[in-house]
Amino acid sequence: MTNEKKRTINRLKTMYPLRALLDEMYKGNIEASKAGKPTAWCMVTFWEGDVILKAMDVESVYPENYGAVCAAFGAAPAYLDRSDADGFPTHMCGYARNCLGYTARMMDLGEIPPGAPMGGMPKPILLLSSGSLCDAHYKWFQALGRYLDAPVWTMELPLPGVKESRIEGAYEHNIGFMVAELREFVTFLERLLSKKMDWDKLDELIDDMIEMNRVWYEINELRKARPCPMHSRDFWSSMSGSLYPSGDLKVSVDLYRKMYDEVKYRVDNNIGALPIEEKYRLLFLELPPWHSLGFFNQLAERGWNFVVESWSYHPPQPIDLTKVSDPLERIARFTYQWLTGRFPDAFNAGEWGGYSAYPYLEYAQDYQCDGALLHPLVTCRTATNHLMLVQDRLMKKLKIPSLVVEGDIVDLKLFDPVDALRKAETFEETMNHYKKVRRQEGLEW
Amino acid sequence: MAWFMGIDIGSVTSKGAITKDGKLLVAYHLLPSGANYRAVAQRLREELLARAGLSPQEITYTIATGYGAGSVSFSDEQVADIRCCARGTSSLFPSARTVIDIQGMSSQVIRLDEEGQVTNFVVSEKCAAGSGRFLEIIANVLRINLNDIGPLSLKSKNPITFTTGCAVFGESEAISRVAEGISKEDILAGVHMALASKLSALIDRVGLEEQCAISGGGGVNVGLIRSLEEKLGIQLLVPPQPQLITALGAAIMAEEKQKGI
Repeated sequence: MTNEKKRTINRLKTMYPLRALLDEMYKGNIEASKAGKPTAWCMVTFWEGDVILKAMDVESVYPENYGAVCAAFGAAPAYLDRSDADGFPTHMCGYARNCLGYTARMMDLGEIPPGAPMGGMPKPILLLSSGSLCDAHYKWFQALGRYLDAPVWTMELPLPGVKESRIEGAYEHNIGFMVAELREFVTFLERLLSKKMDWDKLDELIDDMIEMNRVWYEINELRKARPCPMHSRDFWSSMSGSLYPSGDLKVSVDLYRKMYDEVKYRVDNNIGALPIEEKYRLLFLELPPWHSLGFFNQLAERGWNFVVESWSYHPPQPIDLTKVSDPLERIARFTYQWLTGRFPDAFNAGEWGGYSAYPYLEYAQDYQCDGALLHPLVTCRTATNHLMLVQDRLMKKLKIPSLVVEGDIVDLKLFDPVDALRKAETFEETMNHYKKVRRQEGLEW
Repeated sequence: MAWFMGIDIGSVTSKGAITKDGKLLVAYHLLPSGANYRAVAQRLREELLARAGLSPQEITYTIATGYGAGSVSFSDEQVADIRCCARGTSSLFPSARTVIDIQGMSSQVIRLDEEGQVTNFVVSEKCAAGSGRFLEIIANVLRINLNDIGPLSLKSKNPITFTTGCAVFGESEAISRVAEGISKEDILAGVHMALASKLSALIDRVGLEEQCAISGGGGVNVGLIRSLEEKLGIQLLVPPQPQLITALGAAIMAEEKQKGI
């Protein structure tokens, strides 16, 4: 008899220090707060706000990530209950409910609630929400502002359609809008903090942020190999370095470079993320059930390798920004590239779901996926409303079937792992069937 | 001689089948599942063996399926009920390409190929209104036996329209209709129409391809079958014992397993 835990996924060694950045972020935030340093609670701003705050010496805390942390630590139910008690509807975003419950509890106590995972989130001086893809951001952060008596700033950005993005002058117009928004944000921060922006520091931080994401992009490119060297679980554990750029970005760049080396070694030596044969290559949408990640281990035992996941958590395809001298314009172009970088290809392919469906058609082909596991998040419309379109396009265009397993990122009551496994087993027959169909139709895999 | 057993522990009833030499159904039995799945599985096995005149040792391979499959201690393997249902249907109706499986706790629509392999499927949300549970609730309100629901509903002259898609509110609505003096027949026909609408929406998600069969407890309800046929505009393939299809499929898969198919 051995107590050794069965290994179902070959986790990357270099993932652990990247994942640990999060622990350090929470620890650093608490220490900084105790030292009187200003803290901002931020939504994922897709790199628009983070480096600016960093350049102004403001610590960033990410309530969305904290929702995932609370779910993983089993601390979320108490905060969700508190949010319910304050009258927020249960169908609202799980991250928002968790955060509002946490905040209400913190304001009751006048301090971080005892037992809060990772030491908790310290009280902020500023709330920074994002106008990107989330539809809860306005009211969630507005409500937080009332609990915390802190100013709320929303980082707006344009969301053009595939066709509209090609209107003459649209690109430069949108970049101009974003730069103006960023400039206003800097002015606002300068007033709030009574200090001036250090533009040289910001410039350097942007360089680091761009380089970090370039390496992260290249890592994910390597996952196209067969067998896939890196499972989605490692992606989710490592994406925080990019999405929540905290601490010293030069350290993060170095950690991603080390990860690149490990993944490249695996590719060169034909080492997959599964210790067993990779029977099925899966695309995963949207965010996973953070409270039940063991589910993926059970699927790994069946030979399911998750090779790519939602585009919105991936870095943008690299573009050359070295000739753009205005740091705010570099940020704007970088974020806009993340948002619309695939649009020219989508247009050429006659696909209009630039955010919703097209990226997955591209991924499914490039990563040669056998199926897609769609995880509609009961409490997140943004992450859910496009999934049926994805299912339809994958099947019609590429003969790739999808399995729908309902759940939630935070609320574990909404996910049934037993039922999900029952469906997964059946889905293998479906994937086998469509392998034959794809072959008959002359598709590559 | 090789014999194979399929055990389907459903949320409402438990079913079993023994096959030999292909698809022949030698024995079957239905029992209420109750709360102790382990005990009901054991009893089911004993009754199946007694009917077939076999000893446990003569069963070469057993596959367990259904909600309580994990409690079948004597099984050699567990297989998802959706796969078993597809295989069982295909063994009886090789031309079937769609199955509507109406169970006690959920419903599912399965698309299958000529080998009985699942090519697509959709399971109803966790909602009583889309499953046999809705029928149980209404039977209880009307104080009638579940088996009488189908024939009684066929006598309806003026079916009511339920204004809700929820079983809980549906129960209240049925009570109100009883109080208003609406006949049981019309209420039951209305229930079948409501259920057929729910199932039709489910079918739309995977697409209906004829031939289409029905299975599960819902398949014994002639009123529901008629409502579905009217809603879908097709004639359904109805097996002689729809509740046993999944158990039969499990036994067939046990045989396939043994033969290395």
